[in-house]
Amino acid sequence: MAARELSSAVVRFAALLRRHGLSATLVHVTDAVRALDHLDIADRGELYLGLKTIFVGRPEEAPAFDRCFEAFWRREPDGEGIPGLVQIPPGETRESDATLKSSGQKRESLALETWGTGADEGEDTGEPLSVPAASDTEALIGRDFATFGAEQLDEILRLTLKIARRLAHRITRRRRPVRRRGRVDIRRTLRANLTKGDLIDLRFRERKRKKVRLVLLCDVSGSMDLYSRFLLQFLFALQSVFGRVETFTFSTRLTRITDHLRARSYRQVLRRLSEVRDWSGGTRIGESLAQFNREWPQLVDRRTIVIVLSDGWDTGEPELLARELLRIKRRAGRVIWLNPLLGNPSYEPLTRGMAAALPLVDHFAPGHNLAALRDLATKLSL
Amino acid sequence: MRDEIRKIQDMMEAAEYVTDAPVATSVHLAMRLRKPLLIEGPAGVGKTEVAKVMSRMLATNLIRLQCYEGLDVSTALYEWNYQKQLLHIKLDETARNNRPIGEKEHEIFSEPFLLRRPLLQAITQESQAPVLLVDEVDRVDEEFEAFMLEVFSEWQITIPEIGTIKATHAPHVVLTSNRTRELSDALRRRCLYLWIDYPTLEKEIRIIERKVPGVNARLTREVAKFMETLRDVRLAKVPGVAETLDWAQALVSLHADHIDEDLVNETLGCFLKDADDLKRFRAEVTKAGLAPFLPARG
Repeated sequence: MAARELSSAVVRFAALLRRHGLSATLVHVTDAVRALDHLDIADRGELYLGLKTIFVGRPEEAPAFDRCFEAFWRREPDGEGIPGLVQIPPGETRESDATLKSSGQKRESLALETWGTGADEGEDTGEPLSVPAASDTEALIGRDFATFGAEQLDEILRLTLKIARRLAHRITRRRRPVRRRGRVDIRRTLRANLTKGDLIDLRFRERKRKKVRLVLLCDVSGSMDLYSRFLLQFLFALQSVFGRVETFTFSTRLTRITDHLRARSYRQVLRRLSEVRDWSGGTRIGESLAQFNREWPQLVDRRTIVIVLSDGWDTGEPELLARELLRIKRRAGRVIWLNPLLGNPSYEPLTRGMAAALPLVDHFAPGHNLAALRDLATKLSL
Repeated sequence: MRDEIRKIQDMMEAAEYVTDAPVATSVHLAMRLRKPLLIEGPAGVGKTEVAKVMSRMLATNLIRLQCYEGLDVSTALYEWNYQKQLLHIKLDETARNNRPIGEKEHEIFSEPFLLRRPLLQAITQESQAPVLLVDEVDRVDEEFEAFMLEVFSEWQITIPEIGTIKATHAPHVVLTSNRTRELSDALRRRCLYLWIDYPTLEKEIRIIERKVPGVNARLTREVAKFMETLRDVRLAKVPGVAETLDWAQALVSLHADHIDEDLVNETLGCFLKDADDLKRFRAEVTKAGLAPFLPARG
């Protein structure tokens, strides 16, 4: 194969990679062409490994690269020598979610109204009320949210607030002076050397760090109904004790509820939120995340922890979900996915949405009870 | 396969590093194209080892920049030896010589008062290009990441009091990351990339054979299979190759020639280092016994 042909094949291969989400820049292409001199191009395996180390920049990109490589650099070059571009088979077709949507619209206004008042929708879970144990609090903390009745709302809220306060404390904890490293702390140095006549003993200070911001994306679709009422409380509690929180809900689209949550009481929040539509409908996580990336890109930077609360039941395209989540992950300090279903020991993250999201998430944790929310504390520092 | 890549693989094996084609290919291209090599993967799979082996292969110095939260330019590049400067001024005063102030200043801001930190060391090697290992680069903040990119592209450093120091030999750079933080796209673009995963069963067997003297074939197989299965259990702290080797070593010291339940219980601490993991593992074993963790008979 002539060198020029090979180079142009690399250029076209890079174009193919770009169409499949990899960032194949000019630098990559130049490197790849240079690398051809140092590789045995008759050895397909070696060409594969060589191009992979150049074009792939993160493990998530490897599957797409593999597919492109498989399709582009065909095993047996026939007469023409260089393979043409091969169309990659598209992912699975989207399922129709029309039925979900229409029934969801009827439900969305209903669902919220009943939350505050204690009138349950008749979901009798069959779980017996827990016997007041030595510590009633402990009993509550370990219980799955799905088994709570609405009458326990106040008790849960009190505990949630307590946990949120602890979380907030953890996030905002300031840095103390240190003995070595960092900048010279002039004030402390002067004081420490007052009796010495000269500045010999230096004091240091760790650099002041930018504060951490939380972005919460809470799934309020139908499948999350049992959980979202408690998670919403958690969001409210977290936002009321911790200043830098932005909160969104999503089902088929995204709604910013940060301002709705700025209320004195939770019941007031519920009243305000009843204006917000789109509760308990179907779920399109991918599209909601896309909307977030489009409309609120400035909210996410390296000092941001993005928390997604969702069970991963997605009626949209898993590829879209993966792509948009990757966009968030690239900019965020940390991405945490809380999945209430994970609290169930037999649960496996097999839904298409969850499977697509999982490799992109820094922490995948349960969010089904208060203990799980409490455990979140260890994940909330950057 | 190219002879050079095979040679690298052989040299790595000779340097007690069990490797495979992907690692050798990436190392080969990184050295040929003179690009930094970014290695990511779970903890304990031998990322750092690649740099060490590279320096042994090239018979050159290994300079290590261990990253941590809050690492800043002065600790990575250079610092003035403040205490030494102060003492020098003091001594100068007692000597009562009346040299012009500019001269004195020039004196205390000269090479003898300079503390060379890893990055400066890396570009001032006299004989040949060293290997610069930037370990756990995900722990530094993005300002520092940007600064490093600048150094890597120019290979020169400006010290205001002395002037610009240009690299005598551009170092071979290896960066490792545990992915506690996503690195910037700019950094990724500049580097070749290598993902090292937990070893395959065959590779792990080779590693044990290579690194643990006196281990027999059956025990090796069982340990490797055990670790492979264990990594599929949802653990908080998944054991790496280091744990495998520790455990195999421990079993050999106990004169074991195969694994049984008592032995596993006695030596759990070698590979499970988290209280919850221990609990989860014990539950798993009580439920189904050791059988799923051991290679099939025959």
